[in-house]
Amino acid sequence: MLAWMQTLVSRMRVWLFPGRADQEFEQELETHLDLLTHENIHRGMTPEGARRAALMRLGGITQLKENNRELRGLPFLETFLQDVRYALRMLRKNPGFATVAVLTLALGIGANTAIFSVVYAVLLKPLPYPQPEQLVTVFEAKPQEGIMGNGWSYPNFAELRADNHIFSEMAGTQQHQLTLTGRGDPTVVNTASVTPELFSVLGLKPIAGRTFLPEEGKPGAQAVVILSESLWRGPFGADPIIIGSSITLDKRSCAVVGVMPAGFRFPAISEEEQIWIPLVQDPLFGSWIERRGGHWLRVFARLKPGVSIAQAQAELDAFSARLAKEFPTENAGWVIRMTPLQGMIVENVRPALLVLSGAVGLVLLIACANIANLLLARATSRAREIAVRAALGAGRTRIVRQLLSETLVLGLLGGLTGIALAYWGVHGLSSLLPSSVPRANEIGLDRFVLGFALLLSAIASCAFGLTPALFAANSNLQASLREGSRSGESTSRRRARNFLAAGEIALATVLLVASGLLLRSFAKLTSTSPGFDVQHVMKASVSLPRFQYSTPQQWIAFSNELLARIQAQPGMRDSAMAVPLPITDGFINLAFDIPGTPPPSAGTSRSANFVSVSPDYFRIMAIPLLAGRFFNAHDNLSAPRVTVISKAMARMYFPNQDPLGKRLTFGFPFESVGEKEIVGIVGDVRDVALGQNPGAMMYVPFDQAPFWGGNLVVKSTLGPSSVAGTMRQVVHQIDKDLPVTDIMMLPDGIESSVAQPRFRTFLLGVFAAMAMALAAIGIFGVISYSVSRRTNEIGIRVALGAQSADILKQVLAEGARLALVGLSLGLAASVVATRFLATLLFGVNPIDPLTFAAVAAILATVALVACYLPARRATRVDPLVALRYE
Amino acid sequence: MAADKSTILQGTLDLMVLKTLDAMGPLHGYGIARRIEQISQEALQINQGTIYASLVRLMQKGWISGAWGTSDNNRKAKFYSITKAGRKQLHAEAENWERISGVIGRVLRIAERG
Repeated sequence: MLAWMQTLVSRMRVWLFPGRADQEFEQELETHLDLLTHENIHRGMTPEGARRAALMRLGGITQLKENNRELRGLPFLETFLQDVRYALRMLRKNPGFATVAVLTLALGIGANTAIFSVVYAVLLKPLPYPQPEQLVTVFEAKPQEGIMGNGWSYPNFAELRADNHIFSEMAGTQQHQLTLTGRGDPTVVNTASVTPELFSVLGLKPIAGRTFLPEEGKPGAQAVVILSESLWRGPFGADPIIIGSSITLDKRSCAVVGVMPAGFRFPAISEEEQIWIPLVQDPLFGSWIERRGGHWLRVFARLKPGVSIAQAQAELDAFSARLAKEFPTENAGWVIRMTPLQGMIVENVRPALLVLSGAVGLVLLIACANIANLLLARATSRAREIAVRAALGAGRTRIVRQLLSETLVLGLLGGLTGIALAYWGVHGLSSLLPSSVPRANEIGLDRFVLGFALLLSAIASCAFGLTPALFAANSNLQASLREGSRSGESTSRRRARNFLAAGEIALATVLLVASGLLLRSFAKLTSTSPGFDVQHVMKASVSLPRFQYSTPQQWIAFSNELLARIQAQPGMRDSAMAVPLPITDGFINLAFDIPGTPPPSAGTSRSANFVSVSPDYFRIMAIPLLAGRFFNAHDNLSAPRVTVISKAMARMYFPNQDPLGKRLTFGFPFESVGEKEIVGIVGDVRDVALGQNPGAMMYVPFDQAPFWGGNLVVKSTLGPSSVAGTMRQVVHQIDKDLPVTDIMMLPDGIESSVAQPRFRTFLLGVFAAMAMALAAIGIFGVISYSVSRRTNEIGIRVALGAQSADILKQVLAEGARLALVGLSLGLAASVVATRFLATLLFGVNPIDPLTFAAVAAILATVALVACYLPARRATRVDPLVALRYE
Repeated sequence: MAADKSTILQGTLDLMVLKTLDAMGPLHGYGIARRIEQISQEALQINQGTIYASLVRLMQKGWISGAWGTSDNNRKAKFYSITKAGRKQLHAEAENWERISGVIGRVLRIAERG
């Protein structure tokens, strides 16, 4: 070890001061020669003979000096720097080649780095909590009915939390919006209602004050609240004495006990919570904690150190079996499952991100193939130079090393340019990213991402550098020297170039097919009729503070007054209340019974999505009436309870019967469960997502199933701003403290529900376009090069009477052959590759013949156009010039 | 010329140089080369230049040190001498060498008898 270091130090010294050591060694050799010569003269040689014999005895002076220099200095570094200098000189001498190669690579590296920055932040980076691998989400599921990932009832949660051996801590949360008043305009704040343990599960500390105490999670405790840093810095102006002061939530005063740091986002991750309150204080969920039925509480837990997922799952199985036995009505058929928190968070975006990473990787591969092709072509024209080097004694490794250094320099230049592109690309990506992507706020070019970019450049340089370098080093030295710079190149090298060009086309085919499938899928998605029509419909949300508007009667009175006032406005006759709205809101799935029929057999259940609407809702949304009647103003609390069901529901639950007059038992909130008579059947609606087939739905009159506010929908041809202004104004006439939020045109809301598919379709389209352009450049390069190498041959053909059409045909045929091989390979590969896309597709088969045919046609055209330019040049070859040229 | 190509193991040459410096005290390159040839009774005609590669290696390892002085013919010459670390190394290597040559010798004798 020490000797090794000493060697290095001594070598460094010589490397830094090379001149002196050289001189010294020369001096030493001179003395040695002198002494040897003397000795030889003593033996009776002539002075000249003595000197010559001495020289022979000592060995070649120049070689000795060279050896000595290598031994003393840092030959590896020296030759590397020499190679780098040489490489830079070569690139400067060929600015065209350098620019094309560097830009191609930069594009590939830049796109990969940008996508990787997203993948890293969203999928790979550990969650920002201590020991994130211990965090799990625990959920109830009813697998035989296909219900996965549901919430808990509070009593089930409390029991497991009190008695388990697997979790060091458990917490439950739910979230919704509450009204914040008393600080400027009334606003709605995203609120997480949590059990006090949430903060200790995650292991995070507040930046001021404290988190919740265990006793604050019990009914009857004082109302307390924790603010987010952004809320504290925003509306509260970073008030330094905020802790201990109180704020008004839903018209009730809560004491502020802490402020959480800005980075803390939980449980929503993608959206920003602004406030945390104890679950028991929540105006809605707080009243549910006694109820064992219902699956609404999202549960997170931290595994005890050393407890494996399998161990924990075993205990959960035993626990759910016990629940099913003790409380069969509520828990039969339900099991408890868990998954690592990180996996749960990214579940929705993982497939798309993986597909995009794969796509962008292919783009880089094509870029590498392109550069390799350029290098191969150049290596052919440099064959003479390399042969001269070899003749002068450069070994094979030395030549490979020099050529690799050149590509490494190229790779680094490309990588650095690529990082600059990525910096710009990450900004663009972040602004394009749908807001539903989790952890998007963490995306950036951090150390890890930069390291990735550099590593990728190095790998890429080796990928495109090695083949040409090996070819060059293997070339037949004598032949190269003899034939000069512009003779025919070896068959194997030409084959390699053709292979690369065809490969590029194959890869581009895969990307184009994938992009085409996504495009068609997206077009299908957005052109599918959702079963309703929201043109000119605007919505606004109004939420009534439940400590002020506490009874259903008050909610009904408010909604009727609001609708009456809005409908009195000119041009706003068509207005209604609805909870929830299709697609833009979530959905409420409720179990129901059909009185007088046997309960559903084991393993099946009856459930439908529930909507509470005022009478005009169907007309405004253009949902057709198929049988019976819509709701009317008489369907109120004093009238018999009624419901309108969807066509799908009628078909599923009343096959071959007339549902009208039949009765259903259900209700929401739970207090309003009761029998309702079916009075109408309406058309099906895609209420969950555009890409999801309509399911069973049941509507109830708002006046019989009121909510504390809801969505006001208005269909009007007046301008959006005037409608919005009127809505706000009318609400404030009734109660000036009510916030009016989420005002938007419904078509925009539906549009933003497909933000993720649009995003991935757009990006994949960009990558496919890049791939196609690169592949076109690739085939163009190969064909032009082949034409220029064959100028002589073409000249002879023309001299022998070939027509320009023949030449054109010949060159085009060469290109067409490459394109055909590439296309067939690419289409075959696509059949396999598009299987990975299946989960992202809507209404399109992964092996969609139309897409495949279109891609083949497009690529074939592009390839032929790319070949046409060099082919045209070939037809213009003047035989005289061509022949003299040799 | 055959002697030039005789493959003296690098390590063996280094060992001989060390041994020579140990026995003779400070010497210049020519002196070392001559001494090795004499000891081997001219059986080992080395390419004298290779001495210098060996000297560089030994210097880098810190087993010998060099100082400029004047040679017999009144020319500037670099005189090498063995260092403490070099002596230690020499003993270790010499033992090693004797053990190996002993083993080889025994093997050869057995082979002859067989």
